[in-house]
Order: sequence, then structure tokens, then C-alpha cells
Amino acid sequence: MSNFKFPPINSLLHSELRLKIVVALDSLQSADFMYLCQITDSTRGNLSTQITTLMDAGYIDVTKSGLGRFSRTTCSITSKGREALRNYEDGLRKIFSQEVPAQEEQKMINP
Amino acid sequence: MKSVIEHTLDIITRTRGEVLGHKEPTGETLFMVWGYPTAFFLLLEFAALMLLHQNWCTWIWLGIPLVGAPLMIYYLRKDDDHTHCRTIEANVILQMWMFLGFISCLGGFLMGCADVFEICYCTFQGLLVSMGCFVTGVILRFRPKTLCGFIGAILSFAALFFQGEHWPWQLFVAAVVAIITLIIPGHLFRRYVRITFRKNS
Repeated sequence: MSNFKFPPINSLLHSELRLKIVVALDSLQSADFMYLCQITDSTRGNLSTQITTLMDAGYIDVTKSGLGRFSRTTCSITSKGREALRNYEDGLRKIFSQEVPAQEEQKMINP
Repeated sequence: MKSVIEHTLDIITRTRGEVLGHKEPTGETLFMVWGYPTAFFLLLEFAALMLLHQNWCTWIWLGIPLVGAPLMIYYLRKDDDHTHCRTIEANVILQMWMFLGFISCLGGFLMGCADVFEICYCTFQGLLVSMGCFVTGVILRFRPKTLCGFIGAILSFAALFFQGEHWPWQLFVAAVVAIITLIIPGHLFRRYVRITFRKNS
């Protein structure tokens, strides 16, 4: 029986696009939709869906300003989102630094 | 499994690096947006007081926030439209200047109401603006701004030499401080941003 303990990993952040959005917002005060589109190299539709998911989880705040064609969506990270990112990153680093037994590793890949 | 984690950590590092690497300092126009009205209205007030000797002339400075505030809002929106993001540093600088501006205006208003112009308020105001310029230079790692803030702070003390009936000269000193701490660093910083960040755009 091994003593290995797998730290809980945030499934919401375990998606490349959502992770990129949260990391980008963590380094900034706020960013608009265009900027996130450019930095994440994603399509508008996909980005919009992921932003809604993160907003529903309370990880980011979304503000809409302007009207019609000139409307602007600005996103900023919340303290909850910042904490989730820290925990996620710490968890990954912990796993990376630990010796994972082959049996546990197999469980992680095929739970 | 480790390669997956390594890839995820790499995404985090790369995204962070990309965001930090492409951060263009904003708000270079804000220094001039506040600098020109400040210098203009202070010199106008100085000239009016020297020529007319009327009490109402001491309220001419109110033109500074009346002109500066709408221009600031306009240029902030323009900056956001250009960069599409606001950095943490830019937000700290903006909030600091809003605080300094508010305190400065409140002080001027109270001085005007109390009719106590013998107090060297211009020294205090000059020190506030110089401090803002110095701290902005430190945050943005732009040495000319830091230096201008330092020179402005020393120059602010010159207002102490104009007491009694010569007090309007304090306004002249404050206008010179505004030129040194707001207009000159504003132009220098705009040139620096254009050369460093926008040469390829």
C-alpha cells in the first residue's frame, strides 16, 4: 500500500482555454474580449462559452459597456478565481515534485 | 502523467510571460491632460491677480478640474480602446493620481472658502504632485519621471519665499512645478512608449 496522496485538482481550470483566461486575467487588472481572444488564440464562440462558465463559477467578473456594435465586454478576475488558480498551480507542482507510483499513475489516467 | 502536468505548467508560464511581455504602459497622455490645464489656469490666475487685484480671481484654478476631468475620462477610454486591457500598475497609478487630485482640489477649495492665502498651500500642492510624479516614475521604471518628481519637490519649496502681498507668485511657482512634473515627463514618456512599444505597429 503506497502513501501517495493525490491532491484534488480543480476540474474547471483543467481545460487549456479556461486556464489561459484565468492566468491572463491574474496578471492584469482587467482585459476586454478582444484581448482575451488574441492572447488565448481561440474563436469568439468558444471564448464566450468559457467566459460564461468561469463567470458562473464566480472566478471572473464580466462588465458590459456601450451599446450595439460598440459594446465592450471587460473581464477581471475575482479573489475566488485568484485563490482557485493558486491552489491549482500548487497542486500541480506538488504532484510534479512527488514520486507517483505506477499503479496510482494508471488510476489518474484511467480512473 | 508527468508530461501532462509539465504541459499544463508550461501553459501557465507561457501565458503569464506573454501577458507580461506585451504590456504596453498606458496613460502617457494623462500627464499632459492634467499638466496643460494646470499650468494654464495657474498662470491665468497669477496674471489676473497681479493685474486686477480682485478676490474672485482666486477661483480661476477651478478651471483645472473642470477641464482636466472630462479630458481624463475621454483619454482613459481611448487608451483602453487601444490596449484592450488595463495593467495592475496602470490601475495603481490612476488611483493614486485620483486620490492626489481630489486632496489637492479639496485643499484649494477649503483655502478659498476660508480666505487664508497666506498659508503656503502651493508648496503643499507642489509636493503632492511631485510625489505622484516620483512614485509613477518608480512604478513604471522610467527614470526621467522620477527625476522630474524630485526636481519638482525641491522647487515647490520656492513658494515658501513668497509671503504676504507677494503670495500670487506662489501660483507662478506652482505653474512651473506643473510644467516640470506633468508636462515635460508626459512628453518624454509618450516619446519613450512610441519608440519602444509602437515602432512596429
